[in-house]
Amino acid sequence: MIALIRNEVMKMLWKKKMPLILGLLLIFVSLLSYGQNYAYERNIEQFEAESGTAAFNWEGLTTQRLSELEERSQNEFIPEEVRASIDREIEQLNYFIENDINPVTPTAAKFNVSFAEQGIILFIPLLIAILAADLVSNEFSRKTIKILLTRAVPRWKILLSKYIALLIMTTLLVFIIGLTTTLVSYLFFQEWGFSEPIVTGFTLFEGTLNSDSTILIPRYQYTLLIYSLVWFVSIIVASITLLISVIVDTSASAIGILMAALIGGQFLQFFLSDWELVKYFFVTNLDLTRYLTGSYQPVEGMSLNFSITILSVWAIGSIAISFIVFNRRDVLV
Amino acid sequence: MDTSVLKVSDLQKEIQKKLIIKGVSFDIRAGEIVGFLGPNGSGKTTTLRMLVGLSKPTAGNIEICGHSLKKEFVKAMANVGCIIEGPDLYDYMSGYRNLELLGSMSKGVTKKDIDEAVALVGMENRIHDKVAVYSMGMKQRIGLAQALIHKPKLLILDEPTNGLDPQGIHEFREIVKNLAREKNISVLVSSHLISEVQLMCDRVSIINDGRIIRSASIDDVLVTGEVVWILDDPKRAQSILRESFDLDPSIDGCHLRASVDSGMLSEINKTLIASGFDITYVENKKRTLEDLFLALTEKHTI
Repeated sequence: MIALIRNEVMKMLWKKKMPLILGLLLIFVSLLSYGQNYAYERNIEQFEAESGTAAFNWEGLTTQRLSELEERSQNEFIPEEVRASIDREIEQLNYFIENDINPVTPTAAKFNVSFAEQGIILFIPLLIAILAADLVSNEFSRKTIKILLTRAVPRWKILLSKYIALLIMTTLLVFIIGLTTTLVSYLFFQEWGFSEPIVTGFTLFEGTLNSDSTILIPRYQYTLLIYSLVWFVSIIVASITLLISVIVDTSASAIGILMAALIGGQFLQFFLSDWELVKYFFVTNLDLTRYLTGSYQPVEGMSLNFSITILSVWAIGSIAISFIVFNRRDVLV
Repeated sequence: MDTSVLKVSDLQKEIQKKLIIKGVSFDIRAGEIVGFLGPNGSGKTTTLRMLVGLSKPTAGNIEICGHSLKKEFVKAMANVGCIIEGPDLYDYMSGYRNLELLGSMSKGVTKKDIDEAVALVGMENRIHDKVAVYSMGMKQRIGLAQALIHKPKLLILDEPTNGLDPQGIHEFREIVKNLAREKNISVLVSSHLISEVQLMCDRVSIINDGRIIRSASIDDVLVTGEVVWILDDPKRAQSILRESFDLDPSIDGCHLRASVDSGMLSEINKTLIASGFDITYVENKKRTLEDLFLALTEKHTI
């Protein structure tokens, strides 16, 4: 089995998909971080020009905001939850002032998170599709499936080895995305920012995500949290792509179908967000990271747990159908 | 050895509600080369696909070295090497990597086995080039090598000489014949090329329209039972054969023809020589496989 998995990983590497994906990533990440840095510097210049001060005084602004918040916190009439979240923000701002950090400076830790948040619904699934779409369909279109299936190995083992190889490569890809976004953006921003505190509505509480109260966590924890969600989504997308790849004969149609599903899903969500059925479509549920940033509900009645359940059902269903179809299929190429 | 390496009984296959293979049965013994002859669309490839587990029979049984293909797929397939419809390899890798990769899928294939297979098909010089730059002939050789690396007892070759030049066909044939002779490997080779089957095989099964219509050794198939003599006095010989052997010979110029049971032939010749005939030529007339093939298949349309 290990030999089979190694073979499949080798095939994926030999097809030179990874350099292509890495190239795409580098281009996009460089452009985005350059753009962000440029916009930030323009903002400061503009501010300096308007306020007439020689240097951009972020400390003054932050202190001003801090005293505003403290004033509100003193107010006896605001509800307890609101006061709690105000207190978190006060705590956060205090950290920035104490450590002499401008809160709005772009950092590598902020960039990799926002890249993941933006990419999770389209860009990252697309990269996964490049990796996964030809996994089985290519063997059919190149007819190599014949030499693969006439070995003394049962068919389910061959598909399983392909799936495990895909999971390995997907995991590697998520690592690479995290690493590239962090390193490339650091080159532009010259700030890591991993220990800065961030307010989030979520905590990992005894192994489950708890959304009841806001809490202050360091950036690196938040990054890990976001990337584990990205990893989860990637695994789901990989599993669904596997199914498409088993069913269709060419990798081009496999990528095409997945693209159509992803983009069509966004349309559905946009136009028919009050239609109950839309929330059971996997594309509607891909945007897991947005649940962390506030009271996000793409369709009425959706929550993080709901989305995770729906995605898991899609993935497990896809894998099950893939194995059944692959096992039964007559190879006529 | 009299054990069957491959035993096929009453194999049927239905594709899109149409019965394509209508009950095919045959078996192959160790070291035997069997030709599977049939026109295009007769069901050769469909049958072979079922033999190597690429498609599932609608009914019937396949046993390879005593293992049922359906129930003991892994054990059965461990004894099979095959090329089905052209040598399709991973063309983004070198020939050697292809063999390594496929070898690792079978138990106990060593680097030595791979090197041996490469040497056998004579590809040592180009084995590390990418498959994408190979010629058809080279791919066919690697195709044969991949079928041999795990030392199978049964080799199934589907139209293996398609796209080869005459030299390549000759070499390929010699390699396969040697394998059968020296390593006692059984070979099932399908073809629509009659000469190829005639030169390579011990036995032939002729398939048409999903049925095996004739299955016999090449010699049996070709013998017509007709003997031709060329001798000095055909008229007198004719009467002797009539009287002594109860035959009905005909005269055609200086040729004397008769339907003779091959066991009787030497007895007849002795009598003829004893009677003082000057025999210049005797032939146990063979018909060409082509004639037989056309005679058997002409009535059917695809």
